[in-house]
Amino acid sequence: MLDNLKRFVRESWLLVAASLVCGVLLAATNAAVGPRIELNKAAKLTNLAVGLLPEAKTFAPLDPVEIQGLDGKTEKAVVFKAVADDKVVGWVFKVVGSGFADKIELVAAVDASFQKIAGYDVMTSSETVNFGDQIKEAYYRNQFVGAPTERFNLVGTGTAKPELIDSTIVAISGATISSAAVVQAMNYYVPQFKEQLEKKGLIGNGSNP
Amino acid sequence: MAATLERQNPYSEAVVTGLWREIPVFRMLLGTCPILAVTAAVKPALTMGLCVIFVLVCSNIMVSLMRKGLRPHVRILLFTLTIATFVTIADLFLRAYQPRMSEVLGPYVPLIIVNCVIIWRAEARASNSGVLLSIVDGLAMGLGFTIALCVLATIREILGTGKLFEIQILPTAFPAWAAMGMPVGAFLTFGFVLGFINYLKKKPA
Repeated sequence: MLDNLKRFVRESWLLVAASLVCGVLLAATNAAVGPRIELNKAAKLTNLAVGLLPEAKTFAPLDPVEIQGLDGKTEKAVVFKAVADDKVVGWVFKVVGSGFADKIELVAAVDASFQKIAGYDVMTSSETVNFGDQIKEAYYRNQFVGAPTERFNLVGTGTAKPELIDSTIVAISGATISSAAVVQAMNYYVPQFKEQLEKKGLIGNGSNP
Repeated sequence: MAATLERQNPYSEAVVTGLWREIPVFRMLLGTCPILAVTAAVKPALTMGLCVIFVLVCSNIMVSLMRKGLRPHVRILLFTLTIATFVTIADLFLRAYQPRMSEVLGPYVPLIIVNCVIIWRAEARASNSGVLLSIVDGLAMGLGFTIALCVLATIREILGTGKLFEIQILPTAFPAWAAMGMPVGAFLTFGFVLGFINYLKKKPA
């Protein structure tokens, strides 16, 4: 037993020591640049939000709300209040879908009364170039602009007209999984954010934004 | 000549090896995945090259420091651990200070972990050489890799867009070859450059 332990230490001490050194190096780097990466992400979210709600002058983050993630776990999420001339013009938040290659992070925007989608843009995606990557293109994104904040249905190419603004979304040919990921993200998160804002009294009857 | 050089000065031998005799992409055909993926323009190619230089030098230093304690069954594990650490550090710095470039390069920076050039140098040089020689080797090999990326990217960017570093180089009347920005352009350019290098290699002095 003791011999085995000695042999284990002799053979693997370098691996243990190297793992410790590498761990410390990674932790130190992460501590040093992590806040800056978060700032970059926030700046990107704001830039995308400006594209979705161009009339907004500022995007004020509200206190985090609790929503259920795709894995069923409760997580905190931030909703941004888009304001122009002291008037709320919309709400912006992040939604996530399971794409073909990895998770797809989207920035979604809705109007002030949470009745219509103002649009979405892609924050991070590793979808296949020229296929799933087309969720970034106007052809697909524009189908959501002005659509009611109801449950979306994904249909195949040729079964509906993509130019019609309703709750039917025509998938991208050859990229059904990526198309479904966007619809899934919208269907899963939008009602949750709506419910949270209603609870806070920020939308709906008697709202006081 | 090469043998004399090797005996006389291992540092200059390492430089010649990295920059010409065993230049990773053109002579050893190693690390060809990123050269096909990130050479549509010079800026991402240069950034990728700098990341590879950083990872090569740092992993060579660490492997060289550990060389006396390396055991056969943990050798590859230690190399991979070291390389993965420095690639992650490079990726974090890129995401913090060059977020746009980080997006352009996408998964190809994390994929440096599986770049054969780095594990090749860890095995062939750093695991049996001193720290200083390993640094010189890492710099030379990294520079050779970067030069190869930039040569391909320059050709592709000029022919594909008529521009270099977003500055118009070719007359605006020149029809940009869109194919040069696609994978087919990468394969064609790589093939022609390899043919040219082989021609130079075979040409009598």
